[in-house]
Amino acid sequence: MNYNTISNAKLGETIYEYNHKSGLKVFFVRKAGYNKKTAMFGTNYGSMDNVFKVPGSGEEIRVPDGIAHFLEHKLFEQKDGNMLEKFSKLGSSPNAYTSFNQTVYYFSCTDLFEENFRMLLDYVQNPWLTDENVEKEKGIISQEIRMYQDNAGWCVFFNLLDCLYINSPVKLEIAGTIESISKINKELLYHCYNTFYTPSNMVVTVAGDCEPETVFSIVDEMIKFKDNGMVEKKYPDEPKEINKEYMEQMLAVSMPLFNMGIKDNVLVTGYDLIKRRTALNIAVQFVSGRSSQLFNDLYSQGLINESFNSEASVNANYSYLAWGGQSVDPKKTCGIISKYLKNMTQEGMQKDAFERIRKSQKGSFIRSLNSMDSIARLIMDSYFNNASFFDIARAYEELDLDYTNQVVKEVFNNPWALSVINPQ
Amino acid sequence: MESSDIKTSAVKIAERDGVNFYRVSSDKFKTSRADVYFVDNLSQERASGNALVPLMMKRGCESYPDFIELETRLEELYGADINAGAVKKGENQIIGFHMSHISDRYANNERLFDSCSDLLMCMLEKPLIDDSGFKKSLFRQERDNLIAFIRSRINDKINFSLTRCIEEMCEGEPYAIPDDGTEEGALLLDPKISMDIYKEMISTYPAYVYFSGDIDDKSIKRFIDNFLSGRRSSIKRIDSTNIKKSITSVKKINEKMDVNQGKLCMGFRTNIEPSSQDYYSLVVYNAILGGSTHSKLFRNVREKESLAYYAQSVLEKYKGLMIIMSGIEATDCIKAEDIMLAQVEEMKKGNISKDDMEASLKSLETGMKSIQDSQGAIVDFFFSQNLTQNDDDFDSLIQKFKSVKIDDVVKVAQNVELDTIYFLEPDGNKEGQI
Repeated sequence: MNYNTISNAKLGETIYEYNHKSGLKVFFVRKAGYNKKTAMFGTNYGSMDNVFKVPGSGEEIRVPDGIAHFLEHKLFEQKDGNMLEKFSKLGSSPNAYTSFNQTVYYFSCTDLFEENFRMLLDYVQNPWLTDENVEKEKGIISQEIRMYQDNAGWCVFFNLLDCLYINSPVKLEIAGTIESISKINKELLYHCYNTFYTPSNMVVTVAGDCEPETVFSIVDEMIKFKDNGMVEKKYPDEPKEINKEYMEQMLAVSMPLFNMGIKDNVLVTGYDLIKRRTALNIAVQFVSGRSSQLFNDLYSQGLINESFNSEASVNANYSYLAWGGQSVDPKKTCGIISKYLKNMTQEGMQKDAFERIRKSQKGSFIRSLNSMDSIARLIMDSYFNNASFFDIARAYEELDLDYTNQVVKEVFNNPWALSVINPQ
Repeated sequence: MESSDIKTSAVKIAERDGVNFYRVSSDKFKTSRADVYFVDNLSQERASGNALVPLMMKRGCESYPDFIELETRLEELYGADINAGAVKKGENQIIGFHMSHISDRYANNERLFDSCSDLLMCMLEKPLIDDSGFKKSLFRQERDNLIAFIRSRINDKINFSLTRCIEEMCEGEPYAIPDDGTEEGALLLDPKISMDIYKEMISTYPAYVYFSGDIDDKSIKRFIDNFLSGRRSSIKRIDSTNIKKSITSVKKINEKMDVNQGKLCMGFRTNIEPSSQDYYSLVVYNAILGGSTHSKLFRNVREKESLAYYAQSVLEKYKGLMIIMSGIEATDCIKAEDIMLAQVEEMKKGNISKDDMEASLKSLETGMKSIQDSQGAIVDFFFSQNLTQNDDDFDSLIQKFKSVKIDDVVKVAQNVELDTIYFLEPDGNKEGQI
């Protein structure tokens, strides 16, 4: 069997890479001594992909919001029964998620890996949609949407995206709305399936204590679908400006909840993306992590508490920095944060702090290698961003202060938006 | 392929002044840990104080007197983590301190365990104080934060409804008290009272310490020798959790809130102790009823009737409770209740297929094996076994689940009694908004 083996001695990890003849890529990481095996089968298709060209016909169509997520639910239904039940008969836990740009089906098991893996590869290739089972799913998904409408953390985040983005479909609710899903039918679901569930747009990632040959030969045996050709996605141009500076909503919460964000308008891919993501995460920890002056100022003034958090979400088709948590006075808090951000574009980061935080984040990355799920996810995310898994470790080694300060200058001055959930 | 043959165990390596030290064998992880647990009785008088103590410890210590110094130090130690908090397990309240760092071989062979241990011990033994007790300014902030945290329970409607169901169900019993105590309890604290509770924790609460990961014997010995050395005195007696309660009538609670989705929680008494032989049957019972996507609740409430996105049952093994939970439309409440109770009846009648039984046993086995892939979960498992005085390890537990027969499940089903139905009801303002 022909496959590539790439090792990283410093991390103590080896990755096996296999190119299936259909165009499907397969990655495997062997983790000796672990009981759990995780396999993921993902497509580069998420809630943002609501406008695309149908392969073959060249016709451009717009589909209802929430359809990628709807399809995710429906794939579990097969002619001979529900996949959730079939997996649990083997004692494994199946699941799936839809993000802004990926739909991923996965399971983790401790025994009977081969049977589980065959089932995963099989059902994702074989949708079984009927008018009746599509209608039935609307009730379940409606309850999922209703659940999120009561989740203040979720609402405050999507309201922030709505503030930041003017055209980008990243601002759309992943599950859609009760109104948008009412328009979904069998034909539309098949259109989406045939467009995006095609080998060259998908990847399989596996982590656990088994043999690479086992993984790849099961792929050979089970992968039957043919490639439908390149997917053409259409995203509207996103202006540099933000949509609105402020948005608020009332929900049953105990104290105001906020999300403040900045849009990063420079979109890159491949190793550049991993590098930019790493740099921005270091910068965000420097300016607002628990060791920062800003965190201490806000905390000692009683403006934030343990719930305070921050992140740099850097992706191929949308990127933003966000800060959030509970606060008695979100506007005052954001005013202070923005002052620190502005200062940082002038002063930059000091060498010793940069080195320390780089070391600390690299430590967190190494920690994540304890988990089969996070390994499988990281490999998938890297692949869909045209990078490799070991690029993450490489970025920690190669990143320098000048580059990081340059990125800070590019992003931290951008206009910010604030989303607040107020108690009723 | 079968899993590795290395047995995951926790071996007791020392006992001193009411502190029990254990070493967990595992070399596959890239991290090392020390987990410290202090155990107290769960009580209205002390719960909020016990919850405040770890918050005070996290603010710093003599050598690292503020967040900047403390967190900078953790960053220097390759992103080491020291977390702390209070949880209840049955009618015991546990104050846990959890230290973890990447193994030395990924950190240029720096001796991270010793450095992290020094930091942990400084936080435990030398908190920030002034003449009256905990440093006043810090105390005020952390008490306010604790109260804000307690109030923010309503933010998460699923957990809030579960907490409320248990509060109502166990009214008058210690178990009604939430993990971090109550707002009333927090308001009664002052720097001196809190400091006294801290001192009692350090000197009198029974304590458990677990080491795991790639740590050398010298470092472990150093930790054991230094840990609260000279600070321990007469060790507190910890009461066992009361499991039995006779139910005269089912309590029904409807609470209104301005929400979209209603949350239904049905609380049951199983009347089974975690140390009894019936416990294994109870775990299997719960798995069949509502433990997985194969369960009766998931299949009937979600897949068959499309009433809900989630429908499950969870066990609180220390207190012998089982709670059925689901998020539904207000108008479907009675229908959902009927379907759920019908499933509980099916269990009593023994309408359990061979498939149900096998799938549940397999999923329990997967669960037990998966725990062994998480360092934190392994420690939590052995600590819980200690608390319930259960000697089973992962392998023997799997064997005991496997030896449960359908008749055993039906037998425990007869003891499961409905105690409380709690419904968090949408108040109607949000109807038709979508």
